[in-house]
Formats: sequence, structure tokens, C-alpha cells
Amino acid sequence: MSDERFFISESDLRALAADLLATGTEVIAPVAVDACASPAAMASSACMRPGLEPEDLEYRALTDAAELDLARGLPILSLKGYFLPEHEALCRWKQKGIAIEIEAVPTEFAPRVVLAAKPCDSAALAVVDEVMNWDYKDELWNGRRAATTIINLACPVIDESCFCTAVGAAPDAIKGADALLTPVKDGYVLEATTEKGHALVEAHKARLSPAADALTAGADVDRAAARARAAANLEIDAGSVRDWISTHFEDPLLAQLAIRCNGCGACSSVCPTCHCFDIVDEEEGVGRGTRRRCWDSCQASSFTLHASGHNPRDDQHSRYRQRINHKFSIYPLKFGEVLCTGCGRCTRVCHAGQDLVEILQAIDIAARRPDEAEAAAPAADAPSPVAP
Amino acid sequence: MSETATGAKTSGGGGGGGGGGEITPGVKELREIARELLEAGDVRVIIGWEDARRGARPVFVTDPAEADKLIFDARCVHNLVTYLNPRRDHVAELGKIGLVVKGCDVKAVAGLLREAQLGREDVVLIGVRCGGVLEENEMPAAVTLTPDNVAPRCYGCDNREPALVDHLVGEPQPEPPRPAQTIDERIAALEDKPLEERWAFWTEQFSKCVRCYACRQVCPLCVCERCVADKTRPQWIESSPHARGNLSWNITRALHLAGRCVGCGECERFCPVGIPLSLVNRKLQQIVAERYDYTVSDDPEQVAPIGDYRLDDEQEFIK
Repeated sequence: MSDERFFISESDLRALAADLLATGTEVIAPVAVDACASPAAMASSACMRPGLEPEDLEYRALTDAAELDLARGLPILSLKGYFLPEHEALCRWKQKGIAIEIEAVPTEFAPRVVLAAKPCDSAALAVVDEVMNWDYKDELWNGRRAATTIINLACPVIDESCFCTAVGAAPDAIKGADALLTPVKDGYVLEATTEKGHALVEAHKARLSPAADALTAGADVDRAAARARAAANLEIDAGSVRDWISTHFEDPLLAQLAIRCNGCGACSSVCPTCHCFDIVDEEEGVGRGTRRRCWDSCQASSFTLHASGHNPRDDQHSRYRQRINHKFSIYPLKFGEVLCTGCGRCTRVCHAGQDLVEILQAIDIAARRPDEAEAAAPAADAPSPVAP
Repeated sequence: MSETATGAKTSGGGGGGGGGGEITPGVKELREIARELLEAGDVRVIIGWEDARRGARPVFVTDPAEADKLIFDARCVHNLVTYLNPRRDHVAELGKIGLVVKGCDVKAVAGLLREAQLGREDVVLIGVRCGGVLEENEMPAAVTLTPDNVAPRCYGCDNREPALVDHLVGEPQPEPPRPAQTIDERIAALEDKPLEERWAFWTEQFSKCVRCYACRQVCPLCVCERCVADKTRPQWIESSPHARGNLSWNITRALHLAGRCVGCGECERFCPVGIPLSLVNRKLQQIVAERYDYTVSDDPEQVAPIGDYRLDDEQEFIK
């Protein structure tokens, strides 16, 4: 495969999106959702505050190429929902007497393109591919993955909660995607790495021109600078963290991490790699209904509640430990990949102040520099239970 | 950005609460009382606010030497009463709690007392005189309150000298500024719209719900051992985040808090998708005030409509 790099102007990039839309291809991209333009305006306090952005950024299916937002940060929710929807039908049933009729759902999907995906979001899809193709091949996940071409947009790094480089991702990574756009003067450098990526380049060649060396060199400098910014937020040795967690299950650092945690599970909703789901049968009238799967969260006590009434993870500390353990030890030991791409959404969404950057730092110190661990543990204010 | 990665701000060591928190006489007093309570063994843990990497956040101080972690400023938005919730067994196991509360927060303590979820002797309450809080707490230092940054719920605060507390610290504070638009004005603006538009508004808002139940988890008064939303036999509320399930959940949540909600706004603040739950909660407060002449207060002896029946209660809706 060629590693050719192309230049595409911003207007050509929008035109490319328009070309795709014109052929009936769904294009998913960051869109600024103007809270003030919707009925929500009358109630949104944001709309009343001069100087504040009234807009949220979301991945949405474009209705017009002009909606494509290339300038802003991280969408509220990751790309996850486009591959594992918040809820989706697995099958429908009809029952008459003892006869049951099952209606399957389609597992093949029309081709679609994700444009300007965040590298942490596409990388998450590649990480979750592992579990979706482990003992059971998840047809719905795989069907959507196969149908989707993902073009990343290199990220300038959003804020102090980003730590992609600490967990094997990068602000300019193509992992999980098919091509990468890097902003340069008046446009973007585009490079494709997969068959799907090359096919897209081939199909839209008219909008591309070979990128001059000076442009690609500039793009590389910007990419390196973004990587350095992410690395400044957090540097850990993911292997040491993995091994330390697997051998320190009862360590107070892990066992008492969650004192402030409300167990709300917002972290797992916004997480691009959290993929646990619940399956429910919903009756829709007499003798018919839909079996659905919905996002679930290990932070809810009902997640592990047994039919007997026993709950193996019956307090928030053990549920939070599970979240950390699964992401940074269980999953890497099983699949060789950290179940986290450092997007920082969990930290930003947690108004109680559970801070993954700080927690990983503390575990890394415990693993690699145990003599400093006591001084730096975030659990310092969450001591062992004391007898009344 | 080295401090972002060191965890130093949470390592304690009796530090002065990082860079953001101003050490006012009130904060000094707060730290002194916390230290004394811990040293005397009157409480095992003080739950208050600290200055952390991303702003103010809850802190659990068990060592008297670390009482200086405590801060209070306009970033101290959290209603810490949620940690008294009987569902929080991982907090309860720390032992007797000393809780730092604002005037609004303490109404939730009264709610727990009123509903027999807590004994008054189970908690020591340290009240802080408050001049209003910011809408967002995630900033390195408190900024001056303005109509554009003040939490709208602070407008018209009616509990500036809380009575239920054991200690009250700080100087009297100025009244919080009037927000650019009050919650009541937002409700009125919504009510001016025709039914179809209101329906479209709420349909859109609830369609965003991902059913993480952050609103429930953070609510100091959502005390049920097992929430109706988690029940499966029968399943009262569909767990799928589709339109039906979301409407069912959000209406149930609101109604279960009618006459109980203290308006702390934590449900709205924690909602990861930004549903304006304060509008729902406040509307229910208005209805309860109108029909039952009841406004939630920090007096635990006050009888709440949900726990009371009077022969002259209006009941025209029973047909």
C-alpha cells in the first residue's frame, strides 16, 4: 500500500462530504448543536450567558456538508453509540399459542463514513473489536464496523484531562480508522492506511493533490507537539500498572478508591471503550415484543446482583475497583490492549471529582516507585474503616 | 503541567488546600472546628470541600492534621448531604460524620430526618454562611459571582442563617446576584409556549437521556434501597433509553421527589447529557406550594405533604 500523502483544502473536504451525501452515503461527523436554535433555547441557561458558547459538539449524521465542525474539541459522547447503540433490537418475537415466530434483525449495513473522528474515539473501536470477536462474534458490531470508513482528524489535545499517549494511543493515531487528516494552512494533509481508506482516496482523487514536502513536514511538527502536550499530562508504564493491579486486589489504594464516587455511571456512558450491555425483553402488546440490548454500567449495584440476592460487588469501592481493574489489568492481560484511550471524558463528566489522571498516576507510582507511593496516594483521605 | 500528574494536591500532608481556596476567617474557623471534632473523637470523618487538580471537590478528612485541606468558596457547589444517604454504605463505614453544609444543603438533612433515614445524633453539621455558588465548580480558583456565572438556584435563597446546624462559621455574606434569567422565568417562558412546543421541548430533552441514573445516584433524597426503575418483576419502567422508557423514567423520578426535592440542582449538574431537570423539579415545587401551601425548609418537624393527609386536601383529581 502506498503511504502517499495528499493535500485537501477545507472547501474540498466539505465538497467531499457533500459528494458522499449526494450518493446517499451516511456521513457521521462532529456537529455543533446549537442549543439556542432548538426548543431547548428557552430553557437553556447557556443561551442567556453572553460570551459563552451556546453549542455542544456531538457526532451526528450530517444533513448538509456545511454542518461539519472541524474546529472544536471533543464531542460529549464518543463514537461508541454508532457501533453499539444505547439501545438496539436483537430480535422481535410473536407468540400464538405454542408457536413462536422470531424475526431476526439485519446484520448488514449500508456503507457509511465517519469524518473528522477523534483519534481516541477510533482507537477505542479497535480495542473493543477484541472482545466483540473473542468467544462470540458480535454480528451487529462487526457489521457496522465493516460498513464504516473512518477518517480521523489529528487532535491538538483538548485539556488537562487528556492522556491518550499514556495508554498507547496518540492525538494523531490512525488506530481503528482508515485515514488521517492533519490540519495545515488552508486545509489538511490526508493519508490513508487501510483498504477502505485507499478506496475512499481513490474515489475522491479529483479533490486531492499531492502534498508538498513542506506541508507534510509542518504537519509532522504539529503532530509531534500535540503528542508532547498529551504526554505532559500523564506518563505511566501501562505494563507495570497492569501487573501491579493484578497482584494488589486488596491494596487500600485499589480497595478504597471510590470514596467520593456517587456510583452514577456517567463515566461508563461517556467512555468510548465501556461496552457492557444488558439484554431485556420488552413486550409490545399481547404476544409480541422486542429483545433489546442497552448500555449497562458496572458502577450500578444491579450490574452484579445475583438472583439469590447476593451481590459480589456490594459497595461502591469494589465497583470502582472493577472499573479500574477491567480497563487497566483484566483486559490487557486477556487481549493485550488497555481498555482506555485516554480521552478523559470520565474525568470531565465527574462532578464529584473522581479523577482518572490522578488515580493512574498513583497506581503507577505504587507500581514503579513504591517508596513514594504513601505520599502520593489519592486514597490518603480515604483511610481504612475505623471501628466506631 | 507537572502538577496535573503528581497527585500532590490530594496527598494532603496538611497542605493549605492548594492554590485556589482563599483562607478567610470563616475557612480558618471551619478548619479549627473540624480539627477539634476529630481530635475529640466526636466524629470520625469530616466531609467538606477541598481544592483539587480540576477545582473544588468533596474531601473526606479523618486525620485532624489534615483539617487544613478544607476550603469554602463559591466553587463549593456540591450538596454533600448525598454522602449521608443510607445507600452510601462505603461512606457510613467510616464512622460518625461531621458534614459541612450550606443553607440549601441543610434542607436535605432535614428531609432525611423527616423521613426517618437519619437520626439527628448521627451527624454533626457545620454550617457555612454562603453568598451563593457558581454554576460550575471546575476552575482553579473562585471568581466573583455575576448574573452570568451564579447558580440560578441561589436567587432568593431563603436559608442564609441555617438553624439546624451545630456550628455556623463565616461572616454574613452579601446576597447572591440575580441570574440573567431565573429558574422561575425560564419556567414561565416555557409555559407561554403552546402545548405542542412544550411537548417537543421535553421530548427532545428526554431523548438525550442515556439512563445512567446519575440524577438518582447523586440525589440526597433518592433513598430507596431498590429503585422502581431497577425492578424487573414486573418491570414498571422500561430500561431501554428509547422515548417510552426515558419519558417513563424521568416523570417517575420527578413525581417521587414532589414535595421532597430541596432544589439543590445536583441532578441537573451531574446529568452527562444536560437535561434541564431543575425546571421539572422547580415546577413541582411550585405546584406543591400552590396546592398544599408547603415550601421545603430546614425544619425537620415540618410535616411534608407526602407524609400527611388532611380532610380538606383538594382531591378533585380522584374520580
